[in-house]
Amino acid sequence: MTDVRIPEADPFDAAADEQDGRLAGPPAAAPGGLGLAGWLRWAWRQLTSMRVALVLLFLLAVGSVPGSILPQQGTDAAGVQQYYAAHPALAPWLSRLGLFNVFGAPWFAAIYLLLFASLVGCVVPRTFRLVGSARALPPRAPRHLTRLPHSAEYSVALGPQDAVRVAGQVLAGHGFRLRGPADGGGSPDAAEPWVSAEKGYLREVGNLLFHLALLGVLVSVALGGLFGYKADRLLVQGSTFADTASDLDEFYPGRLVSAADLGPFTITLDSFEASYITSGSQRGQPSSFDAQVSYTAHPGGPVRSDQLEVNRPLSVDGAKVYLIGHGYAPEFRVTDGRGQVVYNGPTPFISGSSGNFLSEGVVKVPDAQPEQLGFTGIFVPTAVDVDGTLQSAFPAADNPVVSLIAYAGNLGENSGPAQSVYQLDTAGMHQLTANPQVLQVGQSLKLPNGQGTLTFTGYVPWVSLAITHDPGQIPALICGIAALGGLLLSFMMRRRRVFVRARAESGGGSTVRVGGLARTDASGGFEAEFASLADELRSVHRAAAAGGQADPEPDPQSEAEHRQHEGK
Amino acid sequence: MPINLALGHVSNDFMIAALLLYSLSVLAFAGDFAFGRPRRTQPTAVLRPAKAAAMAAVGAAGAGAASAIPASASPAAGAPAVNSGPPAGTPDSMPALAVPPLRAIRQAGRWVQAAMALAAAGVSAHTVAVVTRGLAVHRAPWGNMYEFVTALTCFAAIFFLFVMIRYRAWALGVFVMGAVVVALGLAETLIYTAAGDLVPALQSYWLSIHVTAMTVATGIFFVAAVLGCIYLAVDRYDRRVAAGKAAPGNGIVSRLPSIEQLDRLTYRTIVFGFPVWTFGVIAGAIWADQAWGRYWGWDPVETWAFITWVLYAAFLHARATAGWRGRRAHYVQLLGFASLMFNILVVQVFIAGLHSYAGVS
Repeated sequence: MTDVRIPEADPFDAAADEQDGRLAGPPAAAPGGLGLAGWLRWAWRQLTSMRVALVLLFLLAVGSVPGSILPQQGTDAAGVQQYYAAHPALAPWLSRLGLFNVFGAPWFAAIYLLLFASLVGCVVPRTFRLVGSARALPPRAPRHLTRLPHSAEYSVALGPQDAVRVAGQVLAGHGFRLRGPADGGGSPDAAEPWVSAEKGYLREVGNLLFHLALLGVLVSVALGGLFGYKADRLLVQGSTFADTASDLDEFYPGRLVSAADLGPFTITLDSFEASYITSGSQRGQPSSFDAQVSYTAHPGGPVRSDQLEVNRPLSVDGAKVYLIGHGYAPEFRVTDGRGQVVYNGPTPFISGSSGNFLSEGVVKVPDAQPEQLGFTGIFVPTAVDVDGTLQSAFPAADNPVVSLIAYAGNLGENSGPAQSVYQLDTAGMHQLTANPQVLQVGQSLKLPNGQGTLTFTGYVPWVSLAITHDPGQIPALICGIAALGGLLLSFMMRRRRVFVRARAESGGGSTVRVGGLARTDASGGFEAEFASLADELRSVHRAAAAGGQADPEPDPQSEAEHRQHEGK
Repeated sequence: MPINLALGHVSNDFMIAALLLYSLSVLAFAGDFAFGRPRRTQPTAVLRPAKAAAMAAVGAAGAGAASAIPASASPAAGAPAVNSGPPAGTPDSMPALAVPPLRAIRQAGRWVQAAMALAAAGVSAHTVAVVTRGLAVHRAPWGNMYEFVTALTCFAAIFFLFVMIRYRAWALGVFVMGAVVVALGLAETLIYTAAGDLVPALQSYWLSIHVTAMTVATGIFFVAAVLGCIYLAVDRYDRRVAAGKAAPGNGIVSRLPSIEQLDRLTYRTIVFGFPVWTFGVIAGAIWADQAWGRYWGWDPVETWAFITWVLYAAFLHARATAGWRGRRAHYVQLLGFASLMFNILVVQVFIAGLHSYAGVS
């Protein structure tokens, strides 16, 4: 009986079945002189061994660490630039090792692909084995049942054959698969008949389901990476955008996605409101965001309206639109030297690290005559003067002011690389105002030399939206749930065997021995189950003996007893 | 709805009461070690089946189950002799499961009775404290670091109380409840945060689901980590005894469960916690998808939750791998718990990311 081992020692049956050197222990002698096929086979056996899988799991854990310690290109590009500035010697080397993009690095992919190859190499043969073992009969009953981890013994006034037959009926009633001497394998032993019973094949099913579902998660992630896309768009209140590559601020398509695959929807931001906690230690923390949008799923389609909140994305045309940020866009009207209005509208300013939405931005007026005009400035929602510098005391716009420096000259938009709308290239310009000029809503800044006038007419909010489409999302969710289900199944079910032997006694009747063995007993309930089973067998045997014949049905009393045991 | 400050104060009072009761229960557990009944009994005579008897008892091989049970407590005559239990020579600090829990506690002596009663009272007060905190702030009471630690220790204490009763494992009470006292005491003194509102990003019912699962799993892993430490200490002692470097019969070790029992208990604890953690990660992914537009983005906290998951998975596999059972497997699970603690105490507080909600200031 090779199965006798500490039952809990193998949460994943793999090693249990492959204790014969495949998974456990060092590899057999190096396959010298086996040729390429031999080496490949040796490598495959290594890869699919539990020991190597364990090492790969460790590597996966260790390999993830730099991804959380160092700034990553995908999530924190600015952090990577800062790191380059702070460690100019080290950063290029880290970059060469892929440490700024760990989860996309070839070495990281190598770890998880090897791990999944190892998983496949383990799971596929086990699936076949499971199918095989579901067809096969339980093993023969061992000779010495009292040597099993759980055993019981009692006498009964029944012949051995009857005792074993009754035991088989009881066990079958509990859903065990049976094997008796009649089922082949060994000579029928008239003096000491036996029956073997096995149950709990679902444990291995759960285990395999768990591992296959993990594979499914990987495939789902790959699906998203190939066919999905991500995009960002900053949207000022009152304006509209269309989900086209040219109208998006940032567009990150999947490998097999082109701009033509975007859904042709349009979204308008009707209004946005943020409210903040006004008192207490959490003063200035946001308490709610509320964006009212109207959208059309396709050109010419009906206009629908929706409320966009944090944690509540808008689903439109297969994509999801998320509210991920907000800010202020001060409105300016600029009149140039000719007296013509050359700029009139909101300009999004971006809040920096100084807090409370003190935001920075630039205004570019390329149409101004005689010279192009440019302004750099800050917007302060609740302005307070702290020792001569403007600070924002609260994120809501309770006392909004802007502070601007005016430039005139050439904006440089027609030459050189593309410019950011949030930066002013002052190389070809000269400063018009010596100091920053502070304006309140409605106030104007008159530029010197008759260059024109800028009026701070008001402000509107803006929101930043993330638009994503991920076809791997639902498959990943399904696989995740399947993995969890498989895990629970494999932990809660136990594969167990119960054996019964009956030996004729000289004075008539027989001695019944019951042995039990849980191959894997993670939840640890087999002890109680076995005690209850042994109890039931005994009372059914007693009842059968008292009735003078083998009574196939368990009597009600022993049923009650059984339930009582189960309830404990 | 405004914060109910009066209820918040009630919660604080119950939290202090729980801390006090836990401390007293630790003292009582320690008192049991010092003055209680000795538990490592000599193996009783093995009962051999008597052929003439209506039933023959196959003795509890060696010692195990039967040794702690007085003869009067044996199953009524007529029941089959069931031999289920640890191998021969196991010290009997975890009495047989055949004895009903309450009777087993009564038989364990006054110190254990007092300790168990105090621990149960502490758990009740702790639960009341967590629940009233939740009622005071009108949400699941694990929205900042203080609330998280008080809740996770509450789950750990509830879980361990269950383990102590289910597996008669009160010999471990002084260590696990001691660790609960330390964690709860640190939370009260270092990171106390008054009842308050949450930022919009946390105002989601997924907070209840995701963070609840993570908190429960952390509480369970907390218990497993303490058990793992005890395992390693006992393992080290046993090896020193085997090497002749230490005298056998150490007073504390002799009162602890055997190394196999500790190993099994730890394993079962992690088997219970691992699916909860897995569920928490999945729920977190669903929440992340709703809040940030992707279900997984390798945010530092996500990365460390993943590392923790991988390490506990490695523990489960290590137990099935020759050469990794026992001590090494326990190092792996302690590494898993270390990564969990690192995530909570370092990553969430010091490394910028989307999860920076700890509210420690």
